[in-house]
Amino acid sequence: MPFIQNTDADQKAMLAAIGVKSIDELFVDIPANLRLKMSDSNMLKLPPGKGELEVTRHIQGLLAKTKNAGDYAFFRGGGIYNHFVSTLIDHIALFDGSFITAYTPYQPECSQGTLTFIYEFQSCITALTGLEVANASMYDAASALAEAMMMGKHVAEDRFRKETRNNFVLAGAFNPEYVQVCKTYADVAGLKVIQVQPGADGRIDKEALAKVLTRKVFAVAVQSPNYLGIIEDVEAVVAASKECEALVVQCVGEPLSLALLQTPAEAGVDICVGEGQALGNHQFLGGPAFGFFAAKKDWLRKMPGRIVSETKDRDGRRAFSLALATREQHIRREKATSNICTNQSLCALRALIHLSAWGKKGFVELAEHTVSKTQYAMQKLASVPGVSLAHPNSPVFNEFVIQAAPSLEKKLLKKRIVGGLPLDKYGKGRRGQYLVAITEVTTKAEIDQYAEALAEALKGKPVTVS
Amino acid sequence: MAITNPTDKLLFEVSADGRRCLRLPALDVPKVDVKQALKGVKLRAKPAPLPEVGELDLVRHFTNLGKKNFSTDRNFYPLGSCTMKYNPKINVTLLSLPGFTKAHPHLPEADLQGHIELMVTLENWLSEISGLPAVTLQPAAGAQGEMTGLMVIKAYFDKKGESKTRRKVIIPDNAHGTNPATAALAGFETVTLKGNAEGNVDLNLLRSLVGPDTAAMMITNPSTLGILEPNMAEIAKILHAAGAQLYMDGANMNAIQGMVRPGDYGVDCMHFNLHKTYSVPHGSGGPGAGPIAVASHLEPFLPTPRPVRNADGSYSLDTKRPDTIGKVRSFFGNYGALVMAYIYMSQLGREGVRRNGENAVLNANYLRARLRGVYHIQNDKACAHEVVFTDKKQHTENDITALDIAKRMIDYNIHPMTIYFPLPAVTGGDGAMMVEPTETESKETLDYFVEVMKKIAQECKENPELVKNAPHTTPVSRVDEKSATTNPQLYCPMCIA
Repeated sequence: MPFIQNTDADQKAMLAAIGVKSIDELFVDIPANLRLKMSDSNMLKLPPGKGELEVTRHIQGLLAKTKNAGDYAFFRGGGIYNHFVSTLIDHIALFDGSFITAYTPYQPECSQGTLTFIYEFQSCITALTGLEVANASMYDAASALAEAMMMGKHVAEDRFRKETRNNFVLAGAFNPEYVQVCKTYADVAGLKVIQVQPGADGRIDKEALAKVLTRKVFAVAVQSPNYLGIIEDVEAVVAASKECEALVVQCVGEPLSLALLQTPAEAGVDICVGEGQALGNHQFLGGPAFGFFAAKKDWLRKMPGRIVSETKDRDGRRAFSLALATREQHIRREKATSNICTNQSLCALRALIHLSAWGKKGFVELAEHTVSKTQYAMQKLASVPGVSLAHPNSPVFNEFVIQAAPSLEKKLLKKRIVGGLPLDKYGKGRRGQYLVAITEVTTKAEIDQYAEALAEALKGKPVTVS
Repeated sequence: MAITNPTDKLLFEVSADGRRCLRLPALDVPKVDVKQALKGVKLRAKPAPLPEVGELDLVRHFTNLGKKNFSTDRNFYPLGSCTMKYNPKINVTLLSLPGFTKAHPHLPEADLQGHIELMVTLENWLSEISGLPAVTLQPAAGAQGEMTGLMVIKAYFDKKGESKTRRKVIIPDNAHGTNPATAALAGFETVTLKGNAEGNVDLNLLRSLVGPDTAAMMITNPSTLGILEPNMAEIAKILHAAGAQLYMDGANMNAIQGMVRPGDYGVDCMHFNLHKTYSVPHGSGGPGAGPIAVASHLEPFLPTPRPVRNADGSYSLDTKRPDTIGKVRSFFGNYGALVMAYIYMSQLGREGVRRNGENAVLNANYLRARLRGVYHIQNDKACAHEVVFTDKKQHTENDITALDIAKRMIDYNIHPMTIYFPLPAVTGGDGAMMVEPTETESKETLDYFVEVMKKIAQECKENPELVKNAPHTTPVSRVDEKSATTNPQLYCPMCIA
């Protein structure tokens, strides 16, 4: 049998040591009428097992029925980005068993490897966000945002004991994946998610935001850069939230932007969450990657998720261990701050390797490179007759929205181009709009091809305006 | 003065201006002025103070960190309730193919056919093993699976107009802490059910607690004491008679897979931990995956999108589900983890699934038989895939705790068993030592473990200080976990420069 080392002789000796005649006798607590028999007609309807060669062929067969970002000139992001992933990362995190086949570092003496890299990862998130406490990672940006919502509620319950605050405001253009997850969690927690739609320039509608900022709000979240690629004025959201004393959460979909933009700490936010896929994690249809979660140190004891701290061993040497487990479910049970028991350590390790391999200067260069390419792509695509920028006066980092005509996808695919993501379903008046994403992988030649193909596809079509 | 090898320093501490591993290609478009291009938005005052290291030192840093870890590739790892089985190498080899690594979630559906087919097939297999007709693969972990399960149950009662009255979730006292935490976060009141003398469900007590205000019971089978619950069908009947639902925590599915199907004894909803039962590597604490399987009456409420096979043999993603609870995780969950579970299950096949359960149970019972009398067993009868010893003997005779014994195991290159759980309240007040060998260990390894545990028991009598001060062979001695909490230091000072 695959992966089982017990021989018939071993099994016999072990059964004798136990004092039973057959393995079946060990399952006496399962009533006989419920037990499946290997010979039965109700035997499990699974295929017979395959060996390594067969399974490899089978997987190759499945992949033959797919295409991936590498097969195209690829212009889609929307939360997952087609970045270059250094070979260093797979060698350390995937092929060496030291990290991938270890578990949660509950026993620090034989888990210093994991604990050290988590501490270094937390330090990197602090370096990026400027916020003093970062946890060891969460499932993804969407669940990190939902956890920030729950935390905001807990903080408000403590700070404003006489008030009932149940509203969570999502200001501006949010990734719809994040919104859906937040709403699912809000539903069961009895919280209300209020979305403030962006204005015509794609940025937060400040007047609309001011209207919903009452003392019923426990926290306000802003995604920056937002789902339309636009860099929001986070400081203004912090200022607007002062009066109602709501916590401010910044959500980041593309963490490379943190290399250049004002940090969440400089903007004055309380919590910063984000998606870590862009930091050395493969695309895998959107997961696994990780969500990061950082906050001002005032909120440490309300924070969800696993946290690692520096400490000492009995001989006074530096050591690392899990900290603040008293917030966690295995100790606090129904009073825990979150039900999460795991983090996405391996994905956090990938981010640490990615950030260290690029380093302080390389990470900035990577971001600057992206800005130059994005600016070129904007100019090039907007120069195509029938194409314009949807938000020409708003600042963007690596993604932007073009206004063209609907249903261009198939024409582009024929030229091996996956153009920007159609936004028809995203909001009213977005028919014919596409969200275009650029990374360091995108070449000038691909951008030029995209422009050419768009020009051809739009020939003879009337210019649409949203 | 102590000399420190650079490999024992943090990356931030070996950082030097100008070092790096990766380089960009020459820029093929005009270089722009960032401030101008970004229309004057505020930029960060200083670059993020990330470490700057050369490739050799980076590789050496992580290789040496790896040596400071126990892992299943290097050590026997009988950590109870975590199912630390062997993770086949083929999983990661195939996962690193570009077809997976560059699968973007916004690719056209026509380009995702093989992926959707894989998800549909994996759903079918888990459905077959659980005996429940519908599965969602979206939850990213067991805890999120539990949450999704309770959300689905809540949505079901909402639809029936009963969610306002059905406020309670009954949870046995030996349950994993996640169960009550999940129930509370899902907005339910939790009711603790005390176990009977054998650690099983007390049916009369259960009958007295179940009523029209009960939404569900969350039960782990086999229980966290490593015991098969003999009355599952009766428990389901009691709940169903009151209109309530039975949720099964499938964390211990490794013991019963292919032997009995939870749906056959009345479970309405359960989660799998693919990182336990189906060999997704534990990754130093994640990522995993926590799919849930549900009975047909709960199916309309599952998260979207639902991967489906169409009549013409093509595959698509169904989002038109009016009763869905929504999404619990972005995109499709931890797809990479699902791929590894799929590859593993393809290798197991129907016989392999069954043999895994049988051998996991055989190995645990072998350890129980061999260590009987050396360590106290509160409930010495056939166990499932794990066996719970306690420190009763060593504690009363030599004032040595489960923690000391666990730490001494490290010196013999064995990862400690689970000791923080189950709580003493359910183990007669003694410290638990929960051992789960899994089916992938050889008899030779199990025999080595037995010899080590006997030796440690002897050391407890003859040289208790040796055990109390263990471990002696690790890069650090016993770590002060208390001050990590009272005085937390969560980042390296250089990262706030």
